Amino acid sequence: MSIDKNMNTPGSGDVYSLAEAEDAALLAKDTQSLSQGQLVRRRFVAHKGAMISLGVLVFITLFAYTSVGFAGVPGWWGKSYLDAATTVDGGRPTLSLIPQWLGGSGIAWGDHPFGQENTGKDYFALVMRGTQKSIIIGVVVGIVATAIGAIIGAVAGYFRGWVDSILMRLTDLFIVIPLLVLAAVLGQMAGNLGGSIITLAVVLGLVTWTGLARLVRGEVLSLREREFVSAAQAMGAGSGRIIFKHLLPNTIGVIVVNATFAIASAILLESSLSFLGFGVQPPESSLGLLISQYQNAFTNRPWLFWWPGMIILAIALSVNFIGDGLRDAFDPRQSRKHKRGLFGLTKAKG
Amino acid sequence: MLKFIIRRVGAAIGILFGASLLLYVLVINSGDPLEDLRESNAENREYLIQQRIEFMNLDVPWYQRYWDWLAGVGKCFALQCDLGTNRSGVSVDSLLALAASSTLRLVLLATVLALIIGIAIGILTAIRQYSGLDYGVTFATFLFFSLPVFWAAVLLKEYMAIGYNDWLRDPDFTLGQILVIAAIAGFLMQVFLAGSLRRRILTFAVTAVFIGAALPTLLALGYFREPRLGYVGVALLTFAVALSATAMSVGLKTRKVLYPALITAALVSVLQIVLVNVFVYYMNWWIMAAGLALAFVIPWFIGHSMGGRYKGTAAGVSMTTGVVGAGLTVLDHFFRSWPGFLDLKPRPISTIGSQTPNFAGGFWETALDYGTQLILPTILLTVISLASYSRYTRASMLEVSRQDYIRTARSKGLPERTVIFRHAFRNALIPIATIAAFDFAALIGGAVITETVFGWKGMGELFITGLDQVDPAPVMAFFLVTGTAAILFNLLADIFYAILDPRIRV
Amino acid sequence: MNSKSSPDTGHERRGEPALGFTDLDVRFATEFGGVHAVKGLSLEVARGEVVALVGESGSGKSVTSTAAMGLLPENATVAGEARVGGIDVVGLDPEKVRRMRATKIAMIFQEPMTALNPVLSIERQMTEALELHDLAYGQDATARAVELLRLVGIPDPERRIKQYPHQFSGGQRQRIVIAMAISCEPEVIIADEPTTALDVTVQADILDLLRRLKDDLDVGILLITHNMGVVADLADRVAVMFRGRLVETGTVDDVLNRPEHPYTRKLLESVPKLSHVDLHEAYSDAPEDPFRDLVLEANNLVLEYEMRGKRFRAVEDVSFSVGRQEILGVVGESGSGKSTIAKAVLGLLPIASGTLAVRGRDLAKLRPREAKEVRRKIGVVFQDPAASLNPRFPIGDCIIEPMVIHKEGDRKSRMERAQELLDAVRLPRDVVNRYPHELSGGQRQRVSIARALTLQPELLIADEPTSALDVSVQAAVLEMIKELQAQYEFACLFVSHDLAVVDMLADHVVVMKDGHAVERGSTNYVLHHPQNDYTRRLLAAAPVPEPGEQRERREARRELLGQP
Repeated sequence: MSIDKNMNTPGSGDVYSLAEAEDAALLAKDTQSLSQGQLVRRRFVAHKGAMISLGVLVFITLFAYTSVGFAGVPGWWGKSYLDAATTVDGGRPTLSLIPQWLGGSGIAWGDHPFGQENTGKDYFALVMRGTQKSIIIGVVVGIVATAIGAIIGAVAGYFRGWVDSILMRLTDLFIVIPLLVLAAVLGQMAGNLGGSIITLAVVLGLVTWTGLARLVRGEVLSLREREFVSAAQAMGAGSGRIIFKHLLPNTIGVIVVNATFAIASAILLESSLSFLGFGVQPPESSLGLLISQYQNAFTNRPWLFWWPGMIILAIALSVNFIGDGLRDAFDPRQSRKHKRGLFGLTKAKG
Repeated sequence: MLKFIIRRVGAAIGILFGASLLLYVLVINSGDPLEDLRESNAENREYLIQQRIEFMNLDVPWYQRYWDWLAGVGKCFALQCDLGTNRSGVSVDSLLALAASSTLRLVLLATVLALIIGIAIGILTAIRQYSGLDYGVTFATFLFFSLPVFWAAVLLKEYMAIGYNDWLRDPDFTLGQILVIAAIAGFLMQVFLAGSLRRRILTFAVTAVFIGAALPTLLALGYFREPRLGYVGVALLTFAVALSATAMSVGLKTRKVLYPALITAALVSVLQIVLVNVFVYYMNWWIMAAGLALAFVIPWFIGHSMGGRYKGTAAGVSMTTGVVGAGLTVLDHFFRSWPGFLDLKPRPISTIGSQTPNFAGGFWETALDYGTQLILPTILLTVISLASYSRYTRASMLEVSRQDYIRTARSKGLPERTVIFRHAFRNALIPIATIAAFDFAALIGGAVITETVFGWKGMGELFITGLDQVDPAPVMAFFLVTGTAAILFNLLADIFYAILDPRIRV
Repeated sequence: MNSKSSPDTGHERRGEPALGFTDLDVRFATEFGGVHAVKGLSLEVARGEVVALVGESGSGKSVTSTAAMGLLPENATVAGEARVGGIDVVGLDPEKVRRMRATKIAMIFQEPMTALNPVLSIERQMTEALELHDLAYGQDATARAVELLRLVGIPDPERRIKQYPHQFSGGQRQRIVIAMAISCEPEVIIADEPTTALDVTVQADILDLLRRLKDDLDVGILLITHNMGVVADLADRVAVMFRGRLVETGTVDDVLNRPEHPYTRKLLESVPKLSHVDLHEAYSDAPEDPFRDLVLEANNLVLEYEMRGKRFRAVEDVSFSVGRQEILGVVGESGSGKSTIAKAVLGLLPIASGTLAVRGRDLAKLRPREAKEVRRKIGVVFQDPAASLNPRFPIGDCIIEPMVIHKEGDRKSRMERAQELLDAVRLPRDVVNRYPHELSGGQRQRVSIARALTLQPELLIADEPTSALDVSVQAAVLEMIKELQAQYEFACLFVSHDLAVVDMLADHVVVMKDGHAVERGSTNYVLHHPQNDYTRRLLAAAPVPEPGEQRERREARRELLGQP
């Protein structure tokens, strides 16, 4: 049997108990220390899909806001989504991306890159305006739904008892009514009240918080049994401090990941509502509305159908991928670097 | 257990009541029901307004109207539902009866398909975590998550319906198309079956050559307009199923499993010839259901009585053989009816409506008509909800695989298949049951859009028109059906949960 | 090779050992670089022999056993040999290794509560291995499983085999896991911390069971443990591991009584010992001084839990008192209500009846504002070092949290206090900016102690503060509590299941069983001259790290329990 009597432990030669070895390691460690937030950031940046998606999303957002301008600020694209004009070449798009040396007509932007619709309005301007609306909706709904869901979930999970019962029955209520139905009714209401896009977004936020509330509640129920919460209670910390300082920051992973998925689904929900006629109303533009208006133009003028759909898809897809990247970053158990398959996992201790 | 369910039902009814009140108040306040008449220039405008006020009881306070509606619903317990009238005075009951059946058929079929396929994909991707297949499926699920339903519906209509119908008029493939299809099939097959590089190349080659040879053959035989299996085809395929199921479970050497499977296959082969007249002339849905039941029971009996110590496996293998064999027989008869069906309906896949109006055909033709009308909306809804089920299953399987009892199972020397299906899967299903129940309500939302795009006169139509006209009765009728369905589904999930988890049961 | 193993271990060698490692080497690739877990380990286990593999966290002892089972995760690289019944399993076809599991080599795990599949019946889980390895089928397999359950001491096995894991207690579940492990008659069983999660009396029973089975079935056991008492009780030979290397091997007598390697010596020194226990003689205790400066006082205390609308009485009619600079040890097994008392003092649980007074103020009658004032005087250290610090707070913020809550001082004075406290618990001052996950368990526990002392409390509640720590780390933490008590003069309520730890630290002891205080008095009285039967059983069951003494104690326990 092999016995190693002259082994060296890290640190110094005469360190022999585990307790001493650990302290030596702490002292020897370089001063660079990473907070959880930094670790998360590092893992997120390493997630290729999420980083590409982030790029795509930033590009689309900048493009949409700078091109046609917003809040009275004019953009670099001269045409407005409201002005009708004469239709040129059947409203065919002038955008060309195939270079001449490949047999195409060269890379060109043209007068109407996305073509023109029936009355000759510039489709690029319409689509960009719609994209702006989708992004506003996504962000506002994300904020409203996340704030409501996180707080209701944390309160229900922390206090338990009758507070929990009432709040959870309330969320059940929202789950029994199909989301689209509730959103449609509220959307119609907001529309008739002459509300702006922000009103619609807030209204949608008011009905989409339930999923997050359930998740946060579940997390909080298990977190509140952790000893640091008991310790804070024993020190005399109030409920507010415990919820906002101890519980919610520790559910940040769930919250952030869910917020991104909420943004993606809000964008899809708005487009569905506008498609059904309960969301954004003409002459205002929205991607869902554009698809609804031109779905029958598919055979003759397919670009009227493709552009808004592709942009919704691109936004939703990249937001979802960012969410996936965040989930991986917050939950290192599923980190890709480990390369652990389902069935090669054994807990190695000791 | 019973107490648990009764308590859940009680809570559910309370929630349904609360939700109905909320929705009612929201709907009647969502706009002005008289808007179109106020702006109209009709001569009898005043009369029309008066008439509508009467139909909709606009002159009574809202709580009175809600109470009247609730009282009408209450009569359902005496089987005399009165769900009120819409603004033109038509009884909502009659509208609902037509709408509900087609919508629920669509939603239920899509849910069941999505659950089965989604869970299967979830398990597969969990087992092959971080493989090419996993990344591919992950990307596809995210794509489906992010797809606007209505947009995808229009694409499906364009390519799967119109495109297929055009193609079917004169089925043909160019050489290039055949090569591309063969290459794609081969690629997918090697991703699916995985293995070493050598095995992957072999899989690719075999699949590609097979598809490359099969497509021209099928074209030459006119298979796409006149498909057939024939008695011999059904018999051969059934025996192949019997052999491969035995080989995959315990190996062909185990006679106690092989023999019952072969006997079942022989039985299927004989019965499909003996019963051919029943199939052609006397078929209806009841016979179909009874036949399916027998296809389970008889093989189970054969396997169980002959299997000896392998009786469980033998019964399983025989049942698989029996059910697949019966399915092949039914498929064969659908194939036989296809040319006749094409004569009746030259463009089979349609894009509008839940059934072809004035369609006259036998059992098989009518069934094909239902099928071809249902296929596109079902594909759409299935694909959309499949994405989330496969993700949940994958995550749940990965979570369970970290548990100590999986390690215990493995330390007993169990093969991976047993570890996955007996130990991991049953535990992983527990959270999925709850999630599936919650998703059901979301799927109904998806169904509303799908129906709109495909022009079904279903529940979605009822809801959209009702809401557009600020007319509460149709909207509430829609909610009553979907809300009840959602709650029933939740209840089913609870029961399923209790069956799966002995900690709740005992 | 200067192995001290000698032929007098009582078991003749029959050719190939049941389990053998030669130069086993295991590395893991992880997110933060490679980890060299096992560095060239050689060891043999013969049939009918128990070899204990001893070491602290991270020593690689569990990795070694997992390698023998062929169950290492995919990111592991293994070199060397691991022979099971003469066949090297390193690099062997996984299918062949799988068939050897259960039939040649079986395993018993640490956590009986999670080692069994919750949704399958015991019958299903026991028979599947028998059917899989072609040993018995159907009725025969069930009959065999019933026999095995009877063998491991499950009462009424015919009925109970139909039940599910949650219907069994922790000790019974471990018996079931053992029954599974022996079901296919393996040559060697790896027992990975088989009694760590169990109460001390249950532990003694399980150790008896393992001893009996090894003789009856002539099976070799590789016992992985950190508990020297368990080693002394069961092992024939001992191998000590430190950081992936074997530092010493030999007979149990040699290694435990005459350790050679400095690490082994240090390890044995760290183990708290409970000696000179007199289980028979009558003895009377000196009365407590009633005029002490009392900090905590409980009279006829009753505590209740509410579980799904049902009230469940956790503590019934318990009285005790703790004076200034005193440590009161509360001992008992799981479910005895000992931690419940700590919770009540901390205000985490309402008082059902009786009084619980801190400095004479009854906690049950305080208004919220007054309660907060009282809590200033109480510090707390919990059991789980992984959970007791908020993972999102830097260490500095963790320590000063009591000052923030009680609005004391400004940022600067708070941080100064944090650094003083870090000095007191001998951690470098610059850890204030580190996060809890960067510290080891023992270091985190020291941060918890620092936090508890921030407001200079008069009372420290320590709820199993060292039970999750390794022996040498535990020794350091206990030493620290003692020192700090001398310095800060607080009273302490010390809750623990470990009698030896309490013996080392406490002045007075309360023994809890099923919510009742069965015995109470000075440490010398309760732990060295117990009068109550339950206390005696508890003390008899606690193993000591000396094989000779442990043998005597085992006999004494048998006598006490009335077994032959």
